[in-house]
Amino acid sequence: MDLALPPVADEFAVAAERAVVAMGGMELARRAEADPTIRTTEVQAMLEKLGVPDIDPRADVDSAAVAGELCRIAGRHVLPFPVVGSVMARPGEGVPAVLASAPPLRAEHGDLFDQWLVHDLSGDVGEATPWGQRMGDRLAPFTTDLVRQGPSRPSDLVDVQYLYVLWASYLLGVVERALELAIGHVKDRVQFGRPLATLQSVQFQVADATVAVDGLRELVRFTLWRVASDPGHALADALAARLQSLEAAQSVLRLAQQLHGAAGLCDEYDISILVRHVQPALRLPLDSDATSDLFFEATRIHGFESLFSSRSDHDGRAR
Amino acid sequence: MDYEFGQEGDQLRSDLRELIADRLPPDFLGAFTDDPGDLAITQRFCKELAARGLLTLSWPAEFGGLGGSLWMQTVVREEMWAHHEPRGAQYMGVNWVGPAIMEFGTVGQKALHLPALAAGEEIWCQGFSEPDAGSDLSALSTRADGDGDGWRISGQKIWTSYATMADYCFLAARVAGSGDKHDGITLFLIPMDRAGIEVRPIKSMLGPHHLNECFFDNVWAAPDEVLGPVGQGWKIIRRTLAYERVGVARYARCDRLLSLVDRELEGTWDSLAPALRARWSRALIKVRVARLLAYRCVAAQARGEPSDALASVARVAVTQCDQEVAETLFQVFGHQSLGGARSDAPLHGALEDHWRYAQASTVASGTIEIQRSLIARSALGPS
Repeated sequence: MDLALPPVADEFAVAAERAVVAMGGMELARRAEADPTIRTTEVQAMLEKLGVPDIDPRADVDSAAVAGELCRIAGRHVLPFPVVGSVMARPGEGVPAVLASAPPLRAEHGDLFDQWLVHDLSGDVGEATPWGQRMGDRLAPFTTDLVRQGPSRPSDLVDVQYLYVLWASYLLGVVERALELAIGHVKDRVQFGRPLATLQSVQFQVADATVAVDGLRELVRFTLWRVASDPGHALADALAARLQSLEAAQSVLRLAQQLHGAAGLCDEYDISILVRHVQPALRLPLDSDATSDLFFEATRIHGFESLFSSRSDHDGRAR
Repeated sequence: MDYEFGQEGDQLRSDLRELIADRLPPDFLGAFTDDPGDLAITQRFCKELAARGLLTLSWPAEFGGLGGSLWMQTVVREEMWAHHEPRGAQYMGVNWVGPAIMEFGTVGQKALHLPALAAGEEIWCQGFSEPDAGSDLSALSTRADGDGDGWRISGQKIWTSYATMADYCFLAARVAGSGDKHDGITLFLIPMDRAGIEVRPIKSMLGPHHLNECFFDNVWAAPDEVLGPVGQGWKIIRRTLAYERVGVARYARCDRLLSLVDRELEGTWDSLAPALRARWSRALIKVRVARLLAYRCVAAQARGEPSDALASVARVAVTQCDQEVAETLFQVFGHQSLGGARSDAPLHGALEDHWRYAQASTVASGTIEIQRSLIARSALGPS
């Protein structure tokens, strides 16, 4: 039993966080709304320098952990680039991947690539190209419609599982950052002559958010290990991580924004950017209730390994 | 990253399940039911575990253990809790009484208590809570007054589990002459048959033995019955509570009950309401998350870095999972769930038993509000 991230993943996370912060952190997301070209000229260039195109999460557990950390750091800053899809591109092909439900097919930053691989939830995969402009809305500044091209073929279940868990890792970064922002705010903000952080109601909300964030972190790491160590046989695990990440994000983001008061609605504050920009990731391909249905179906078909699931009950193996 | 227990852990788990299946009746619901026979079963079982070295598996060999890893002890803990804790009250000795004596005890205290605990022959109770010192434990007012070279202890403890059967009490009392709430608290290892101790059971929804009042009237404590330095008991209490919070693996019982009900429902899932299926789904994930957070604490202990905040995070997750699973299982079976042990209720009353205990989980070992305060203190820094 070893719960620690591999050193290579730890080191990568430190380097990636440093690189993103050096370029302005969440300021990149703000700037990209005004000037979408910086997504390639600055962000993509920075990711290439970090060696992101060489990361293949399918390679082994260490690589999966590195990819997970990359997505987590991207989530911390709602980095304006399709990081999850890009890291799932097949080595040497450079075509990003996206999970999609029924039409219209949509991808974050879909306009940045001429070609996408769309894994639909019925188990097929096929090529797609961008269709139309970015939505450009407050809650979907970079979301773009895609249109299918050519025939479909059966999807690679391994890729689908990685997409679910890497998006969960992205949302882990989002909730980590949201909690940090909330903690910083309640420690600084004085009302009734004392910092908000001294109020028990505030402390309890911070505690609940901490439990949610810590729990998601452990689940994401476990799931990356599951997907990497038993490729293709962890669909229920991946959906569990996805579902938990959606529910943690809903509760932690709401709480973090609430603790900011009216300031939390203003783009001058990072929490507002975080909340706005993450919305597509909470809805695409499916929201939490629909994901819950998928998870339930997956447990019926594939089981859900635990201390007492059928397999572990027979051979004593617990996962 | 590796989340396997390895061959040794898998074998241990398998052996324990075999032993449990062989020694415990299929409708066993723990030591503390209305049937005294259940208590006798656990006392036999505990001695057998001890004889196999499994009771204190992770303790050093010099104290009667096998020197096994904390992960192997985790396997034992999970299997015991999953199967209604057939160690009875002895789990406390293994989880926190023994480790506290190992860390803070004298040579004599170690020699007196650790072999007996390892042999499954010594039962302890915890004399912490008082009528006016529950969550605010450091406000305890039980007094220890100097008397010659020893002490005379007077006061009242409450919610004291297993006090009617305990051989010793891990007793917190306040010595005179200290101004600070935390300074002055001192821990005593007191035999429960000593003159001046009276135990009164409290009737509760948990069943017999769980809740008692203990009255200490001028009870003598010898100098060699003080654990750690006089006046420095608060540090020991915090350490023991952190061990205790991780040591109760209720998530393992949630896991087992969900799996048993799953098998029982085979083929009838379509008749359950979609909302209940969704609730079930989330319960599966809550159990996994609670287990992983408990493992994070074990990993920290294994590194020699036990943490109050990590233990509290795990405790909140485990207790909330406990209550959610209890309610979900009740919802699945509706009013049939209300039937108690040895009735025709689902799983021989195991769901009813689990639900009753789950109500206590956010209160025992420090309320969930105290856990939240500890977590917030760690996250926000001192206020």
